[in-house]
Amino acid sequence: MLTFTLRRISLFIFTMLALTLLSFSLSFLFPGDTVINHSGQINATVTELAKLNEAYQMDKNLLNQYGAYLSHIFNGDFGQSMASQSPISAEIIKLLPATIELSLVALLIAMLVGIPLGFIAAIKHQKTSDNIILSLAMIGYSIPTFWLGLLAILLFSINLGWLPSAGQISLLFEIEFVTGIQFIDILLSDSPYKWQAFRNASAHIVLPAFVVALAPATIFIRLSRAAMIEVLAASYIRAARAKGLNFSQIIFRHAIRNALIKIIRHVGLQFANLVTIAMVTEVIFSWPGIGRWLIESIYQRDYTAIQSGLLVLSCFIFIVHILTDFIYAALNPLARGNKHGS
Amino acid sequence: MAREKIYLEEVFPSPFMQLWEIFRKTPVAMVGFACFISLILLAIFSPLLAPYSPVDGNLDMILIPPAWHSDGNVSYLLGTDELGRDMLSRLMYGSSLTFGLSFIVVIFSLVIGVVIGSLSALTKGIKSSFLNHSLDVVLSIPSLLLAIIIVAILGPGISNTVWAIAIVFIPQFIHITRYAVKEEFRKDYVLASRLDGASNFRILYYSVFPNIVERLMSQATLAQSAAIIDIATLGFLGLGAQIPLPEWGAILANGLERFYIAPWTVYLPGLAILFAVVATNLVGEGIRHALKLRKEN
Amino acid sequence: MNLLDIRNLSIELDTPNGRVLAVDKVSLSIKEGEVRGLVGESGSGKSLLAQAIIGVLQDKWHVHADRFHWRGIDLLRLSIEERKALLCRDVAMIFQEPMSCLDPTTLIGDQLSEAIDSSQLSGYFWQRKKQRKEAVIKLLHKVGIKQHSQCINSYPHQLTEAICQRVMIAIALAGRPILLIADEPTAAMESTNQGQIFRLLANLNQLKNMSILLISHDLENLTHWTNTITVMYSGQFVEAGTTKQIFNKPMHPYTRALVDSSTKANLQLPTKSRLMTLPGSIPILQHLPIGCRLGPRCPRAQQTCVVAPKVSSYHGHKVSCHFPLLYENNKKEPIKHTALKGHV
Repeated sequence: MLTFTLRRISLFIFTMLALTLLSFSLSFLFPGDTVINHSGQINATVTELAKLNEAYQMDKNLLNQYGAYLSHIFNGDFGQSMASQSPISAEIIKLLPATIELSLVALLIAMLVGIPLGFIAAIKHQKTSDNIILSLAMIGYSIPTFWLGLLAILLFSINLGWLPSAGQISLLFEIEFVTGIQFIDILLSDSPYKWQAFRNASAHIVLPAFVVALAPATIFIRLSRAAMIEVLAASYIRAARAKGLNFSQIIFRHAIRNALIKIIRHVGLQFANLVTIAMVTEVIFSWPGIGRWLIESIYQRDYTAIQSGLLVLSCFIFIVHILTDFIYAALNPLARGNKHGS
Repeated sequence: MAREKIYLEEVFPSPFMQLWEIFRKTPVAMVGFACFISLILLAIFSPLLAPYSPVDGNLDMILIPPAWHSDGNVSYLLGTDELGRDMLSRLMYGSSLTFGLSFIVVIFSLVIGVVIGSLSALTKGIKSSFLNHSLDVVLSIPSLLLAIIIVAILGPGISNTVWAIAIVFIPQFIHITRYAVKEEFRKDYVLASRLDGASNFRILYYSVFPNIVERLMSQATLAQSAAIIDIATLGFLGLGAQIPLPEWGAILANGLERFYIAPWTVYLPGLAILFAVVATNLVGEGIRHALKLRKEN
Repeated sequence: MNLLDIRNLSIELDTPNGRVLAVDKVSLSIKEGEVRGLVGESGSGKSLLAQAIIGVLQDKWHVHADRFHWRGIDLLRLSIEERKALLCRDVAMIFQEPMSCLDPTTLIGDQLSEAIDSSQLSGYFWQRKKQRKEAVIKLLHKVGIKQHSQCINSYPHQLTEAICQRVMIAIALAGRPILLIADEPTAAMESTNQGQIFRLLANLNQLKNMSILLISHDLENLTHWTNTITVMYSGQFVEAGTTKQIFNKPMHPYTRALVDSSTKANLQLPTKSRLMTLPGSIPILQHLPIGCRLGPRCPRAQQTCVVAPKVSSYHGHKVSCHFPLLYENNKKEPIKHTALKGHV
């Protein structure tokens, strides 16, 4: 387990370095002056510019420049937004939790819907229900997200009027910003309308979360179906049958556990996909998250914001990736690598 | 020469023909394949087939609903948009942008990815592990996000979108080629031909490629369905194809303002994207299904 | 009394080109307390037969039999559930590659304890857990694993192949079976471990009077451990008899070839000479010869061999051949067959 942890940590450090290197080099690739791209101070005076040049060590070689950039990042200084001239780190802290909330809820929905459906399809392999689930998965996988979001708004918000179509919570509720994750904030607040606010926030998240969850859910269906079929064909399932266990015992005690392990490995990879979908969905549902902010900064050519947004989003994705790796190792005795233990 | 076969002769078709035989017997995959082929034909010949110009509108015929609607006009089968442009023509021209370009992009990045991937599979040691880690980093960034960043560097526009998506897909192909080639290289038949004195390139060309080409094809269909959606999404976000171009995602974004009075300007391009993606996925699914069956027999 | 009595069991496989008869009318009987060997090349349908007996074949296989009796009970008359319940209670099976037959993510102790039927435990539910653990430890001791606590808390990949097979035997013993089917229990094992496993099985047979159906491709090795042997070739019944009959006086050309190919039966052979083998190899399922499936490879084959031979019995030594090798009393060499002389 120790080597496993060390390995992940070294991978994490390498990836972080590579990502900061990428965002550092973006400043050179973007149009405009490098130091302004780094700091985002477009209206800097000559003296300010000189100060910035010194802070980012622009007169020294690239390695020093990169080191200076890294130290700025680690001090939480991402520069300021070219468009609004406010510090980017403050904006990210305000916006990232909303994205985390949306993507985690969507991931949960995708897994809770996709994995059981995939298992059912595998158990009913090559029967009608298997084919139906597979066809649905194929269509769900093929629908473009933005179109699905628009259709969902048209149907559920405009025609049926069941669910709100924009934002995270109705503006009537004043919830104090603590963690940024709306549900936790509501529970922490001492507002008398706590439960109304909670219900309102839940109603707001339903549509975007399901829109984000659809494509990953279909991928989970296929993954879990393939994993379950593979497990059910394994010889230890046959041995368990010969042992005299009945079907549900085999499924619940042996098959699900082994199939889940195979699926968990892919959750990290799928999460990257899910965050991309969440970015587009945030635009459609006016969700106050970092994806919408990032796309708006592209419209406004806010290069400092783009590179910081990229850095933060990929870090978030990668942290989830590492976390799923740890869950995988915790569940799977084979991955923990104590082969010579006994 | 008409001669009765006396013996029941056993004919083993080549692996590729076996794949095609199984593929042909799957009706769903064949339907998808037919749609795929017709989309390619449409993408090539859309200027000849489309009844109207995709850009010039007829200002007398604004926002006409599709022909099956009571207010529809048969000469505008799928209706018109707010500038009187025929939706059918726009969608037909759009097929060469959204579908055709995605096809070209995938072929382009497939070729480059396979070349780099197979070369890198032959390297060993620190160079290889560095490449491996770097690929992991690039692959951990979502493809659309990376494409958006590249578009931000290059500036919006359809040609920049195409470049961005091509650049994004190359690492995926490098990764899968590298993995597949390494896996094949571990097998005994490669060892056998290596003992015969074959050079690495000879092994790669004669032994390994015929065995991984189907896997690459299946990955290419996956990449193409992602490419269609990415091009359309960038078009929808206004970062891809710019205003007059009849790119499906851009048409959809264009119709967004009149979503309520002219819903066909939104759901028709969406259906077109869905159709193209489903056709591509059906072909890919057919290939994967056939691969699996061939392995089992 | 016959414990298990099977007549004309056939197994068919669904393939894209129609059904294929993988096992063709094989008969098998096992007496109480005997160790019966089942020999055949790989692909001869021995494992299929064993899995068909215990009923764990996948859905694509179809099994038919003329008679299937278990301790006098006609199993064909029972419903599938009843048959399964009966067989699971009395018959246990161990497989080849024990490592892959144990769930890789569950502790050995848990896998063992779930095989113990709760009807074996007495006492109240709060005592059950402890009793179960004691039963597990007892089972491990029975199969010769002394470090029980370490074994219980291990995952299968942490143990060696031989220990895994012992655990599999322990799991099989948990149901207190009357018949144990061992499907190549020592495949891919070192010879010292092989000996240990076989000795364990032989002990169980003697101490508990447990019948064993031992499946193997190695006739020579099997003769050490078995009372009776059944030989199969390509899904067909070849020959059955006591170990002595089979090894010393094989009547079927195939068994004869099997015996001749082992070094032990050929001690008089000059050094560095070739062992006898049959030409060709076992046919694939898609292209089985008609009649006797050994036909194309058989040195004694004649025209009549395109018809499947009937089983004939010589003093309990059953053979399925049109031209069996017959022996004079107390001689090891068979009488030359008259028909064969014409050929030579």
